[in-house]
Amino acid sequence: MKPSAFHYERPADLQAALGLLASGDDTRILAGGQSLVPMMNYRLAQPERLIDINRLSELDFIRDDGDVIAIGALARHAAIKASPLILKHLPIIAEAYDWIAHAAVRNRGTLCGNLCHADAASEMPAIMQILEADLVLSKVGSSRTIAACDFFVGVYETVIAADEILTEVRIPKPAPCTGWGFEEVAMRRGDYAWCTIVAALQLEDGRITAPRVAMAGVEDCAARLATVEDAIAGQAPATRLFGQGADAAAEAAAPTDSATGNAAYKRDLMRALLPRVLSEAVSRAG
Amino acid sequence: MTEVSIELTVNGRARQATVPPRMLLSDFIRHELSLPGTHVGCEHGVCGSCNVVVDGRAVRSCLMFAVQVDGAQITTVEGLAQGDDLHPIQQAFWEEHGLQCGFCTPGMLATAQELLAENPDPSDDEIREAIAGNLCRCTGYEFVISAIRSAAAKLREPESETVLQPV
Amino acid sequence: MSQHLKSNVIPPSRQREVPRTGLTWIGQSMKRVEDPRILSGKGGYIDDITVPGMAHAAMVSSPHAHARILSIDTSKAKALPGVIGVYTGEDMAQVVDPCPSFASPPITQHAMSVGKVRHVGEVVAAVVAEDRYIAEDAAELVEVEWEVLPANVDLEASAAATGDAVLHPDDRDGNVALDERFSFGEVDQHFAEAHIVVKRRLRWQRSSAQAIETCGVVAQFDPFKGGYTIHSNSNFYNFIPFVIGGSLRVSPGELRIIPVLTGGSFGSKVFNHKIIILTAGLARLAGVPVKYIEDRLEHFTNSDSHGSDRLYDAELAVAEDGTFTSLRFTVTDDYGAYLQFGVGTHGNAMAQVTGPYQIQSFGMRVIAVLTNKTQQGPYRGFGSEVTNWVMERMVDAAAEELGKDPVALREQNMIQPDQFPYMIPTGNIYDSGNFQKVLAEAKSMFDLDTWRDKAAKMRADGRCVGVGLATCMERSVYGPTEWWSLNNTETPGFTLTSTPEGITVRLDPSGKMLVTLNSPMVGNSPETVVAQILAERLTIAPEDIVFNYSDSQSGFNGVGPQGSRFTAMIAGACVSAAIKLEERLKRFGAHMLQRRPEDVELRGGMVAVRGLKDQEKSFGEIALTSSFFRLSFPDGEEFDSGLETTAVYDHPLSTDPAEDRSHLGIFYPIVGHICHIVAVEVDPGTGKVEILDYAAVHDNGTMVNPRTLAGQVWGGTANGIGTTLTEQFLYDADGQFTNPNFAEFAMPTANEMPRNFKLGHVETPSPFTEYGIKGGGEGGRLGAPSALTSAIEDALSDRGVKITSLPVTPPTLCGLIRDAEQAATA
Repeated sequence: MKPSAFHYERPADLQAALGLLASGDDTRILAGGQSLVPMMNYRLAQPERLIDINRLSELDFIRDDGDVIAIGALARHAAIKASPLILKHLPIIAEAYDWIAHAAVRNRGTLCGNLCHADAASEMPAIMQILEADLVLSKVGSSRTIAACDFFVGVYETVIAADEILTEVRIPKPAPCTGWGFEEVAMRRGDYAWCTIVAALQLEDGRITAPRVAMAGVEDCAARLATVEDAIAGQAPATRLFGQGADAAAEAAAPTDSATGNAAYKRDLMRALLPRVLSEAVSRAG
Repeated sequence: MTEVSIELTVNGRARQATVPPRMLLSDFIRHELSLPGTHVGCEHGVCGSCNVVVDGRAVRSCLMFAVQVDGAQITTVEGLAQGDDLHPIQQAFWEEHGLQCGFCTPGMLATAQELLAENPDPSDDEIREAIAGNLCRCTGYEFVISAIRSAAAKLREPESETVLQPV
Repeated sequence: MSQHLKSNVIPPSRQREVPRTGLTWIGQSMKRVEDPRILSGKGGYIDDITVPGMAHAAMVSSPHAHARILSIDTSKAKALPGVIGVYTGEDMAQVVDPCPSFASPPITQHAMSVGKVRHVGEVVAAVVAEDRYIAEDAAELVEVEWEVLPANVDLEASAAATGDAVLHPDDRDGNVALDERFSFGEVDQHFAEAHIVVKRRLRWQRSSAQAIETCGVVAQFDPFKGGYTIHSNSNFYNFIPFVIGGSLRVSPGELRIIPVLTGGSFGSKVFNHKIIILTAGLARLAGVPVKYIEDRLEHFTNSDSHGSDRLYDAELAVAEDGTFTSLRFTVTDDYGAYLQFGVGTHGNAMAQVTGPYQIQSFGMRVIAVLTNKTQQGPYRGFGSEVTNWVMERMVDAAAEELGKDPVALREQNMIQPDQFPYMIPTGNIYDSGNFQKVLAEAKSMFDLDTWRDKAAKMRADGRCVGVGLATCMERSVYGPTEWWSLNNTETPGFTLTSTPEGITVRLDPSGKMLVTLNSPMVGNSPETVVAQILAERLTIAPEDIVFNYSDSQSGFNGVGPQGSRFTAMIAGACVSAAIKLEERLKRFGAHMLQRRPEDVELRGGMVAVRGLKDQEKSFGEIALTSSFFRLSFPDGEEFDSGLETTAVYDHPLSTDPAEDRSHLGIFYPIVGHICHIVAVEVDPGTGKVEILDYAAVHDNGTMVNPRTLAGQVWGGTANGIGTTLTEQFLYDADGQFTNPNFAEFAMPTANEMPRNFKLGHVETPSPFTEYGIKGGGEGGRLGAPSALTSAIEDALSDRGVKITSLPVTPPTLCGLIRDAEQAATA
């Protein structure tokens, strides 16, 4: 399975990369390549041009920017997983990485690349949404910031334009009392999951505040579960509450059938995982 | 499609080549560099038999283009043995029966190299986690884990000679 | 003994080396001879082979499950720079004949389709180009016009199909390729008299071995020099090259098939005749050497090695006291688009279909159905992994219906140690065994009683924990009657009765022993076991033995590694060769020592006078003298130059089936026994199964190398875990194979393996093989599915969930739990 031919550009800096991107079409960005190259090997993707951004060292950062952790386009999954900043402020990301592919893939793959690829079963799109991250999309002469919740629109589809590169993800540091939960079910650990549920919340006087709950793998793209959030906000944590929220969310979902897992099963997983994730988040909160 | 000139170091030796951009690193290593020890099992990044070490990191060579390793340092399985001596990791795989058909083995060795460089005394769970990205259909993984455990011990101690005799 | 078996006389044993203790090399976990070169990256697999001027092939494959080929336009492809030629099935048919088939009457198969395609992935055209990249570019430019035909995906619907839905209208009237009934013993009577009849409908679904290396060929054709020279990772190259030669229209003298180191087979590389014929035909047409390596997609869709895909309606007749009296079933098998090995996988199952139990009669109807999927081929177990599972499901079901403990019920019905050799109703025998000892060892290793208490407590805490136990047979060293004995007796086909293994052993004047093997290394340990056996028998040191491999012209008589036969068979060849070589060594050596042959013995690589210390000649010295100093020895052909011998060892114990098939003869008599016990926890919310504890005890007779055998058991068990929990081939209604990749076909990684797997062994030697060796390569996969299924059912017994179909993936298990809940509340 060999890829078809393409023009190859290897710009030395971001401005050159953006300029190239603006100047042609049918172009893909090559960062980690862990999602793109398999598709090219299968000839499911046959771009005319590849812009290799692996020389753009200015984009290789994981930075403490005060209230925000900033992660650049070239930050590899492995570096993020091992970063003391991430372990301290965003442990849900470190936990999720135990479930994402394997070491060799994480050595090359990038967070930004993963977000742009927008596989329906990718965990990071769901996590960025509950963390209320901002995504910085740059093009020649300007950039714009999109909230994670507005970025993902469909299967392998985001709002990124053909002349833009996702150069940075900016994640607000959660308050130290934030509790988080993460559960996923896949055939094997490391596989794309049938259902991933993630949650972050706080507790104030024994009641849940600022709940953010999202899922991946079930529908066309990762999304916040607003109905669950609304159901638990301001409430005291309780098994029955979580169970009802899970049942309602499962009923309301529009699961896709995949080769290995059907819609009924994905609903089963939502019902099973939502209460567990919410309980985990509660136990970590405060 | 214009070919691209690349220079890199492979198993300690400087190499230079001119390659089409679409040539996969796995094919480049096997055919252009004539180092067939790295194997191709799936070409979609799952089996890990194509793993090599690039700038100290184990990577899937089927998911990189040769042009991307311009300026890099690569170690393949052929770079492990020194003269007549197997590398301690190879020696450990031999002693522990960590291979049967051997097809996944070069990929396992690359993974083991990275693991042991970062973590000289890994637990069995850590070894298992590290090799979870290398598929093997022969061994059931148990003796691969024994081999890497043994390799870790060897790398922490002076090497000892072993000969072909009943153990 | 049942009347129908009276004519099936057990021949006497031909064993020369009796099983015994006090051996030096046999039984040692010696480091493998094969490893240094493999570890250094110099192994030499098929894709490592290059020849001057070699071109590369890429395939144009069918996107349809069933279609007529209306036209193929290769003009754009041919015009691409770097393309040497583009060829269709009609071009190929000018230089090669259809593939050989073991089915009788045959089902015609072309290496490259002609007229029609019958599964997604069948090859309709090929490009030969300067490299694989260009070849694939050109393959995309080939334009095929199709007339899509109805796709047969469902077993029962396909069996009933007519008209355009029939796959092979020239070879069969419909899609049922074979429908035969067999009855061994008083089946009807036993069922009529039964106290209860346990009935189950059981489904074993399709998957395949998917070794990490795919199949490949490098083929050259020279009309003036040697004809075809072919490198391939086929296992069978040395036994029936003339069959491949027939399709290539050459005699064996114009066909040289050269083996290579092979990256795993598990059955999938046993024959590979199709890819050899395909690539060789391309080399002939293109006029250049051609390399074709299957990529992973092609290996899934076109490698002709899918596994069993069966539906059983099974019944077990049980007496009031719990004795099993008879087993019968109807099995319908979704064979795919062709029938290369006939119903050999059902013949294979007949070797041990009644398990370790004293069941007196057996009946079956086997229906082979053709469908628009890749055809079945050998896959670790070759069909008996399925009947092992069927038998164990029936036993568990009987235990439940009778209210008896499933382990006690097994013990009650087991064949006793004093009953061997034991003839089962089909006529095959179990040569030796002590199933009770294996069971006791397994129970002890697993600490079954403690686990049962623990599981009960965990269940009381609301956890779904279960324990399952399986006792299964593991036949080894096959005889080939399994391939044709179930065919219609009027058209049995090629009634092959040979499965030899040969060896050449030569002593070199330097003292090294040079051994030539006639079968490839596929991940088994041929050089290691031969080194140990020859070292044992001839007192030479293993490091003084050097190996090479013959090809189909220089070699002979090697069926190769399959059906867990190689170690036992090569041991026989080693002993035969050693006897001859020892005789020659003693004759020459004694003469050099001025003694009689009966006064000398082999000792430490020397011929030495018995009882004396310094009267000895090394093998090297003897080889030197015998090779170069003929006049030092008397006249007579017994002193002909050189110390070399060849030996062929035939199956140690096989007999013909009865003409009327009232029994199938003895064909797989070297039978091991295994007991697997496993504890699992099921997460009922997600359907995930976690293995909490696992113990397996395998009895494979005398072990040559315990470590390499353990490796096989580990690997086979991993395979069995995958078969049970995660591995499945999925097809949609149009016959599209929807998950032919490693991301969605989920083979176990290290994470899926049990953390505390305990492996034990018992050695009940065979009275028929050399040293009592039995084969052990398939066992893990023959036992794990039964034990795991049993444990999962136990874990979910409160919920009334029954496992009647494999694999039990999390979505499947969740669905079963959900259905059971709904049934309970209804």
